[in-house]
Amino acid sequence: MKAVVVRNLSYVYPDGTKALEGVNIEIEKGEKVAIVGPNGAGKTTLLLHLNGIIRNKNVEIFGKNIENMSREEIVKNIGIVFQDPDDQLFMPTVFDDVAFGPINLGFDKEEVKRRVEKALSMVGLLNSINKCPHHLSFGEKKKASLAAVLSIEPKILVLDEPTANLDPKSRAELIDVIKKLNESGVTILIATHDINALPEIADRVYVLNKKIIAEGSPREIFSNTKLLKENNLEVPEIFKLFEVLRCFGYNCDELPLSIDEAIEHLTKTVETEGGHIHLHIHEHTHDDIEKVKRKYNHHL
Amino acid sequence: MIEYPEIDRYADLDSILHKFDPRAKIVSFLTLIFSIVLIPDLKVALMAFTFSVFILALSKLPLSFVFKYLKWVTMFVLSIFTILALTFPGEKTSFYFISLSKDGIYSGALISIRAIAATMLVFPMIGTMRFDETIKALYMLRIPNSLVQMLMFTYRYIFVFADEFHRMLTAMESKGFKLKTNLYSFAVIGRAIGMLFVKSYERAERVYQAMLSRGYTGNPKTIADFKMDAKDFFLATLIIFFAIFLHLMK
Ligand SMILES: Nc1ncnc2c1ncn2[C@@H]1O[C@H](COP(=O)(O)OP(=O)(O)O)[C@@H](O)[C@H]1O
Ligand SMILES: [Mg+2]
Repeated sequence: MKAVVVRNLSYVYPDGTKALEGVNIEIEKGEKVAIVGPNGAGKTTLLLHLNGIIRNKNVEIFGKNIENMSREEIVKNIGIVFQDPDDQLFMPTVFDDVAFGPINLGFDKEEVKRRVEKALSMVGLLNSINKCPHHLSFGEKKKASLAAVLSIEPKILVLDEPTANLDPKSRAELIDVIKKLNESGVTILIATHDINALPEIADRVYVLNKKIIAEGSPREIFSNTKLLKENNLEVPEIFKLFEVLRCFGYNCDELPLSIDEAIEHLTKTVETEGGHIHLHIHEHTHDDIEKVKRKYNHHL
Repeated sequence: MIEYPEIDRYADLDSILHKFDPRAKIVSFLTLIFSIVLIPDLKVALMAFTFSVFILALSKLPLSFVFKYLKWVTMFVLSIFTILALTFPGEKTSFYFISLSKDGIYSGALISIRAIAATMLVFPMIGTMRFDETIKALYMLRIPNSLVQMLMFTYRYIFVFADEFHRMLTAMESKGFKLKTNLYSFAVIGRAIGMLFVKSYERAERVYQAMLSRGYTGNPKTIADFKMDAKDFFLATLIIFFAIFLHLMK
């Protein structure tokens, strides 16, 4: 079953800025999908269409056009966490913010409290329930704004740049929550340019630059150097490192995209090559390294 | 960092007024404040003043915190007192070589004491609970919704704007701008404030989008766990009786 379908969506802002041109996207129920693209590519604009904040006839949620859905029905199905947590946390306390959605949906007091506590404990913020948002750190604000959407228990969760500007610990914790949610059956759509987190948070990637430029697994996307270059996209550091190792004679057809994959690959290589890894400098090494460096240096 | 004007900085202390039900507290204190402002007699005003001091002591709020704000009110009413004493018509009395109006001194003292006594009560009223509780209490007292929403958003975003303005100033200072009292400085600050308005407008739009995304339909509803018990009724009744009593005396 398709959770989200976007058909031939174009959008021009009132001031004439063309933000989207003929965008098509399909997301299966239970999938986790990322939309990547440089700044100004139209990611946020696309997300604003998904729950009808920008009205349109081009989006279907679980087979139903959002044009024909009530606000309540849309909100119950699809929850969006926007980028700036100060925009998301508009109530006087964390509790009020996380309770805002469930109260609007008409749940009774006990149910609202149950949902607030569940959502806050999921992101590890139960201790801050009575704080006012301006006393939270940026990472905590990000988590609180996620909890404020989780309390609605939407079937589809959409996140705009969830890991931007986070410290490593908060970033890892947030990624962990997103993965757990997906495992419990929530369909995930993430707009991001955090390339290093991508392999963990997405099975499938759309490259957006006003139009959909490409679609595929993270590996397929990262192997397409021309595509990345044309759209100002980075490649995971791990991926680059193994490409460099390859110049030193490391045997590697499928370059790892994450630490986990790297560990797996290294272990396999050590085991098959008799207990160690053999690296050496041969006649092409320096040329090859130069090529790799040039490939990933956007400034050249 | 900038210092925020946080009226609820001492909301976590423990006193009989901190435990007072927010709704009962607001209703009874507002009644008392209103009553004090209308006192026609200096002796009664002095009594009310004493009572205000007593209430303030009950609240356990640090005096330094209260005086930081109260000193402005005091300075303001003292200037009124001076003007009235010097200019009021009627019987004169002389203080060294200055001629003062007796009625002016009386009215000036009455106005000053009433104002200070009434303002002093604002602190034990809203300084003894978190500001969000004040807002919720107003919400539950059926204060018009638009007013409550306005208070709520002001309270939430004043800090965000303060931070934003502060960042802007820092950025300007790091580019060599120094705040002076000349035309150039004012022009630069004016532009910065203009920028802040644009940013606020854009933020308001994004906040509204976030609210819609979570099912906003026009009334932000909140839940508050306020419980009135016998003690709250007793305290509120006592304060309201005192407010009435002030006007029964002659
Ligand atoms: N409210 C707006 N009015 C006019 N143009 C806008 C507005 N919001 C975004 N844009 C423009 O639309 C394009 C896409 O922006 P956006 O969706 O925010 O991109 P992304 O989220 O990928 O960085 C950009 O060129 C941006 O300047
Ligand atoms: Mg964006």
